[in-house]
Amino acid sequence: MRRSAKNAASGNGRPSKGAKNGKNGREEMPSRFYGMPLPGVNLEELSGSLIVVEGTDGSGRSTQISLLTEWLESQGFAVQTMGLRRSFLVGEDIDSLLAENAVTRLTLALMYSTDFFDQLERRILPALRSGLIVLADRYIFTLIARAAVRGIGRDYLHGIYEFALRPDLTFWLNVRPEVAFDREFKKAQTISYWESGRDMSLSNDLFQSFIRYQSMIKREFEYLSKRHSFIELDGEESVSVVNRLLRKRIASHLGIRGTHYAPSHALSHLWR
Amino acid sequence: MATVTPDIAAPVQPEPAKALAPKREYAGALVVVEGIDGSGKSTQLYLLKRWLEIGGYRIHFTEWNSSPLVRSATRRGKQRRLLTPTTFSLLHAADFADRCERQILPLLHGGYLVLADRYVYTAFARDAARGLPPHWLRNLYSFAPVPDITFYFRAPLDVAVSRITAGRPKLKYYEAGMDLGISLDRAESFRIFQERILTNYDQMTETDHFVLMDGTMRVNKLQKQMRQLLGDRIDLAQFAPKKKR
Repeated sequence: MRRSAKNAASGNGRPSKGAKNGKNGREEMPSRFYGMPLPGVNLEELSGSLIVVEGTDGSGRSTQISLLTEWLESQGFAVQTMGLRRSFLVGEDIDSLLAENAVTRLTLALMYSTDFFDQLERRILPALRSGLIVLADRYIFTLIARAAVRGIGRDYLHGIYEFALRPDLTFWLNVRPEVAFDREFKKAQTISYWESGRDMSLSNDLFQSFIRYQSMIKREFEYLSKRHSFIELDGEESVSVVNRLLRKRIASHLGIRGTHYAPSHALSHLWR
Repeated sequence: MATVTPDIAAPVQPEPAKALAPKREYAGALVVVEGIDGSGKSTQLYLLKRWLEIGGYRIHFTEWNSSPLVRSATRRGKQRRLLTPTTFSLLHAADFADRCERQILPLLHGGYLVLADRYVYTAFARDAARGLPPHWLRNLYSFAPVPDITFYFRAPLDVAVSRITAGRPKLKYYEAGMDLGISLDRAESFRIFQERILTNYDQMTETDHFVLMDGTMRVNKLQKQMRQLLGDRIDLAQFAPKKKR
């Protein structure tokens, strides 16, 4: 019931999800899990908020997470972050699997799910119990999209991630593959094997391969966006514009009045 | 400015556990042994393997949890006791997927008789004993080919437990199900954990068409029965060595 309580507290006049779905005035909240809850989790204890930022490489995701972390901390909120391959259990193992490039698609998908649940159970849930704001740099949606374009069934993937916690807010920084290519190329002067989906034999030309792969991922995201009610933002806008939109929506969720923010000197280089 | 739309996806209703759908699109055959620790299954599969090997049959033997892929993660997780029921299950599934995609399936397509010491039913029985819902586990392993024959070795709990505890001075933490916090006494915990697994196996006997084997029978008699049953169920001639003309 937390979400609607916060919406009411923020006083933005927007009807809460519960009220929209409610029958006879009684609120019906969507479950905090997609299916059955993760074994051993007491939802009542989770007082923090889970905020997800999704988007392909080059969508500005990580930049926004850094800025949001600083803004939230300046507002007095403690922040915990999560992302892909950051689990203690298998994070490094996945790195070496990717480097060796000798892994099959299903095994890789399951290693990523292990990585995800290790972080969720041992880092994210404890953080949410302690009332922290969790900022997720990608979530199950990237994992589902990547596996789905490689031919693994969507129902199968949703089945595995039914234990995942439903985010309070999911932002999708949408950019065209061509723009993502420009940004990524500028950053590294090359395009990585996996980002261009070269394991899928789409094209021998790196640019073509990247565009085709990222377009496939984008189509999966369009489908996921409807199914999981993403908040879609134009990732091609400037960093400061995107950041303002993110802050506005998060502030309303958390019931914060002021959304003014200017990055500190340490992060000012990101403010383009 | 983007707006929030209500969640479309309703919470998924848990479905009743489904038996794996048989898919036979390969020339080979898959033979599986299952049962709790100490039920005698590994001994019997070893003897079956020796019999077929000596006869020159096209066979391959595969074991549960043997791929180098996840070995370091499993070791790390077990040593530091980081594994939750969910990550324990997923890690084993990743390991099995690797073995399945790189060993079992290619061998089945290549016309081998594949002998598996433990299979997905081990995960179904053991991970469900750790509290994971059966329908989630069935989905997780839905990529696995269905065995042509699954021998289920059943021994009474006391017999199986005493066989294990007599041979092993110290039970390992996860092996004894200590992560479940059933009992602080390792032997006691092991017994209760095995009992739950045994119950789960028993429940699958019918739905998954297990061939029940009496793990208390004399080893050679049981092996004779196993060879007989295998011959009845599988056309062994197709795996036999080709005779030179």
